[in-house]
Amino acid sequence: MMISMTSFRATSALLFAAAFCLVAASVGADEASAPARLVVESTSEQVLAVLRDKGVSVDRRLEELQQIAYRRFDFPTIGRLVLARGWNQLTPDQQRAFLEDFKRHLSLDYGRRIDSYTNQTVTIIGDRTEPNGDATVRTQVNGGGTSPVAVDYRLRRIDGDWRVIDIIVEGVSLVSSYRSQFQEIMASGGPTRLLQVLREKNEQAATTARAG
Amino acid sequence: MTPRNSQNAAAVITRCFLLAAGLVFAGVPLSVHAEAQANAAEDDPWESFNRGMFWFNDQIDGYVLEPVARGWDFAMPKDVQTWIDNFFDNVHAPIDTVNSLLQGKPRDAGVAFGRFLFNSTVGFAGFFDPAASELGLDEVREDFGQTLAVWGLGSGPYLVLPILGPSSPRDTAGLAGDAAMTAYTWFIPWSATYSSRGVDVVNTRSRLLQQIEDSKKSSFDYYVFVRNAYLQYRRNLIQDKKAGESGFYDDLYDVVPGN
Repeated sequence: MMISMTSFRATSALLFAAAFCLVAASVGADEASAPARLVVESTSEQVLAVLRDKGVSVDRRLEELQQIAYRRFDFPTIGRLVLARGWNQLTPDQQRAFLEDFKRHLSLDYGRRIDSYTNQTVTIIGDRTEPNGDATVRTQVNGGGTSPVAVDYRLRRIDGDWRVIDIIVEGVSLVSSYRSQFQEIMASGGPTRLLQVLREKNEQAATTARAG
Repeated sequence: MTPRNSQNAAAVITRCFLLAAGLVFAGVPLSVHAEAQANAAEDDPWESFNRGMFWFNDQIDGYVLEPVARGWDFAMPKDVQTWIDNFFDNVHAPIDTVNSLLQGKPRDAGVAFGRFLFNSTVGFAGFFDPAASELGLDEVREDFGQTLAVWGLGSGPYLVLPILGPSSPRDTAGLAGDAAMTAYTWFIPWSATYSSRGVDVVNTRSRLLQQIEDSKKSSFDYYVFVRNAYLQYRRNLIQDKKAGESGFYDDLYDVVPGN
């Protein structure tokens, strides 16, 4: 496994957004997307339970969050959406390495934000079915002394299971954000450069995590 | 980084500059086919100029704004920061109201103006936001840049302004329009306008210390990261969060077939 102990210390933060949560009221349900909504709801509850369980060590809690994230987020799909047409420029080996390192990047990046949990609550405010069959579940994160933040989850039915394939914060999609950055790197240095940059970033983040 | 910030920052330089810039950029030929450009939205024909300006702004931020914001953050309790933030949001409410009207959204205009009346009184001159906490009326965010978009004006290319940051010709014209609409500044000394906007900018920056640091650390190309976030964020605001269609890639959610 390329995932080392260091990334164990981190969580997938994707989860995090879902994490800041007390799932509350429901509005505007949609027949087809209702199961997706349940997934977001139950995942949020699980994450919350872990976050609030202050009796357990931080490392242990991070590990638990990561397990939930790996179950609920479809990293292979997220990775492919991010690379888009660039995906086919990678050899199968490069594709595997990319998915592994990208997953690790997300874990490290969001994991170090676990400290920023300050009793925010999350309300599910709606869900809808997208034209291509995906479901979007809309939530609102309240608290933290700011205006409410809109966090939407896009889910896709993969192998009979609803899995998260994008997180959209105030209209800013994670997949889109990485897609533009990676396109820039691929355009200048191709897959080799992309993998190298990703690996360097992870090493940096791991060092900071240890130091912090 | 957000438009509201740029708006705040707008006041750091003179209104004259803003108006002049608005006029100049309004003269740039704008595409009227905003949606047709969707997929090409990240075309950045002015990239080399933009990157230079982005670097310049980042220097100013690093040497001036961020250090001041750190001091501010250290000295000011979080609650006070929130109150100040509320206050400036409330000051902006009349502009939200006018722009809602201009966009033909009387309901939003009513909410924005109702919030303004309620928060200015019950909310102690806007330092608190009981309209949201007690009445469930969330902030309406409308500016003239959005109004121009609703009227069908294309955004033009991505543009990084000196000091004001990420923008577009359309949003630059919008800043000028909003500045002209900020009626209260006509009645108070310019020095008061500047210092209040200065407080607003520093306070806002102090609330974003961690987020901006994290973004710089985790992004692969900070310039591209900010450009993408700005374009997505503005698009979402213009669509009033209803569409939920994020990004500007038509094929954002299509898995490319192959290996």
